[in-house]
Amino acid sequence: MADYVLEVENVDKVYGQGETSVQALRNISFRVRKGEFMLIVGSSGSGKSTLLNMIGLLDRPTKGKVIIDGIDTSTLNDNQLSTFRNSKLGFIFQFSNLLSDLTVLENVILPRKIQGTLENAEEEARTLLRTVGLESQMRKFANKISGGQAQRVAITRALINKPTIVLADEPTGNLDSLSAETTVHLLKSLNRKLNQTFIVVTHDSPQFGDVDKVVTLKDGKIVEGELEASMI
Amino acid sequence: MDYRAQLGIRFITRRKGSLIAASLAVAIAILVVQVNSVIFQGLYDAIVRDLINYRFGHVFISRQEDFITKSSFVLVNWLERIPYVEAAAPRIDYSAQINSTVNGQLIKDYAVPVIGVDPVLDRKASTMYQTVGDGQYVSFRNSIVLGAIADRDLGYPQIGDTVKLKFKDQHGNDVLKRFTIVGITKTAGSVGLDNSVIVNIDTLREIIDRPQQTQSILVRLNDPTKDQQVRDLFLSAFPSSADKFKAQTIEESAELTLSGFRSGIVLINLVGYFGMMSSAFAVVTIQMMQVTSKTRDIGVMRAIGSKRKDVLLVFIFQGMVIGAIGAGLGTALGVVYTVYAKETHLTFQGSLALEVKYNWMGIAQTDILAFVLAIVASIYPAYKATKLEPVEAMRVG
Repeated sequence: MADYVLEVENVDKVYGQGETSVQALRNISFRVRKGEFMLIVGSSGSGKSTLLNMIGLLDRPTKGKVIIDGIDTSTLNDNQLSTFRNSKLGFIFQFSNLLSDLTVLENVILPRKIQGTLENAEEEARTLLRTVGLESQMRKFANKISGGQAQRVAITRALINKPTIVLADEPTGNLDSLSAETTVHLLKSLNRKLNQTFIVVTHDSPQFGDVDKVVTLKDGKIVEGELEASMI
Repeated sequence: MDYRAQLGIRFITRRKGSLIAASLAVAIAILVVQVNSVIFQGLYDAIVRDLINYRFGHVFISRQEDFITKSSFVLVNWLERIPYVEAAAPRIDYSAQINSTVNGQLIKDYAVPVIGVDPVLDRKASTMYQTVGDGQYVSFRNSIVLGAIADRDLGYPQIGDTVKLKFKDQHGNDVLKRFTIVGITKTAGSVGLDNSVIVNIDTLREIIDRPQQTQSILVRLNDPTKDQQVRDLFLSAFPSSADKFKAQTIEESAELTLSGFRSGIVLINLVGYFGMMSSAFAVVTIQMMQVTSKTRDIGVMRAIGSKRKDVLLVFIFQGMVIGAIGAGLGTALGVVYTVYAKETHLTFQGSLALEVKYNWMGIAQTDILAFVLAIVASIYPAYKATKLEPVEAMRVG
């Protein structure tokens, strides 16, 4: 039980009511161990991003539970969810979503500022930026760097609070092939080096090569269940 | 720095168009209030100043419905022993028919207000003598100073010409008296002086057969804040019950003139404050635009752990920046205008010069009000921002 950092139990998500309702997720269940690199794959509209939003506590399931680090998140109120997201989860979005009015360094430190633990934050942010090769860019405003660089900054922002799980939604979807390759390589090396759990939504699973787990969705349901990487 | 303050400042300062528009709205509102204050309060104070200088002094002593029979010499001496009193002077306000003969030809015959003054004491208690543009103030018994309008109405008689005045004495008898023009007064705003003529009080007393009598005494103070004290001292020494004296401060004696003006100032200030409300609506609009343009950022903030109240604070801080810059700019412009009006003795089309004072308390109150309004105006947009759900905000933004 304690091995699992994420347990998704019988999660349903229904948008709307009555005849116009749409069931985006049906009875989704899976578990993720610490340090695993998991992919959520599926065609467009299969429910990948909806599932990621449930795991990321950005949206609540209509039915079922999302348990992170042993805590049933359905019991948390809005403020507790915010605090939980800040301390336990890291987010990497398709369009990096850096705040353009902040510098690279300020963007990376922002989760720490929200947490209110600024001690050594700048040194740690510098170290992470050095790891992704962007230390020299840290004083630049976020809208003054390239898309590939921005995505690497987003990765460091996701890691700064040492989250339990890093969630990435199509992290290479908006990048050229070279930047995409660099990003994939970076995510996987961080996974190995830091034993950091990653859950990545993608429509291009071969790009990620061997991973620990793949969940394939179709029409809101898991079609292949949990597959060990060796089986791919 | 608190990250919410940092984001609030960055969001607005990196949107220069929004910052300038919102700050200008606040600044212009403050400027309107300050310019209104400089002009209308300045005009009010200028009227009070002229009324003090020319007509009433700081304390105005008269007798209910009659002339003062007690010797003006005694009263003035008594008053001048009070440490706050700089000078006191007797006056008689009367009226007469006037005509002028220029080159042997009668010019006009009409009623004119006549002010009887003591040539020596009046120079100490009043600055009316300074209004003489041409010639000199009344001195000898038959001298007369014409107001500029009276002079014009008489066909511009010159200094040295004579005018004839017809008075009714206290018994109702007509008394004719010829005076030699020694000066012409001209005042901005005039307070009625330019329609009047000024003569020696002793001559006037003699003409109307009121020897030693006085109609009023104007008292000039070296400390105008002591006016009520001087008034009370006088009334305790010369109780109304015995002498039927009336002693009034300038606010009391000029109440009729000033009360209407005060209402006008209140109305004008209200207009200014309504302008300030309009600026608050401008801030609301600009802040709403800010929320719309920052929707994605709000979604990101929420996703990485900001609470709703944190988002609220970001936009409140943004309102504080707008309020602070707007208040600073508005105050700077207002102070520049105030200094200009004061240093140039601002007048409008030759009317009386404004009496401009630096009302720091008023300026501070206006600034604080504008600053608070900018914050209040930010509450609704900030509240709307807190209602954004992270997923929706990032998708829409």
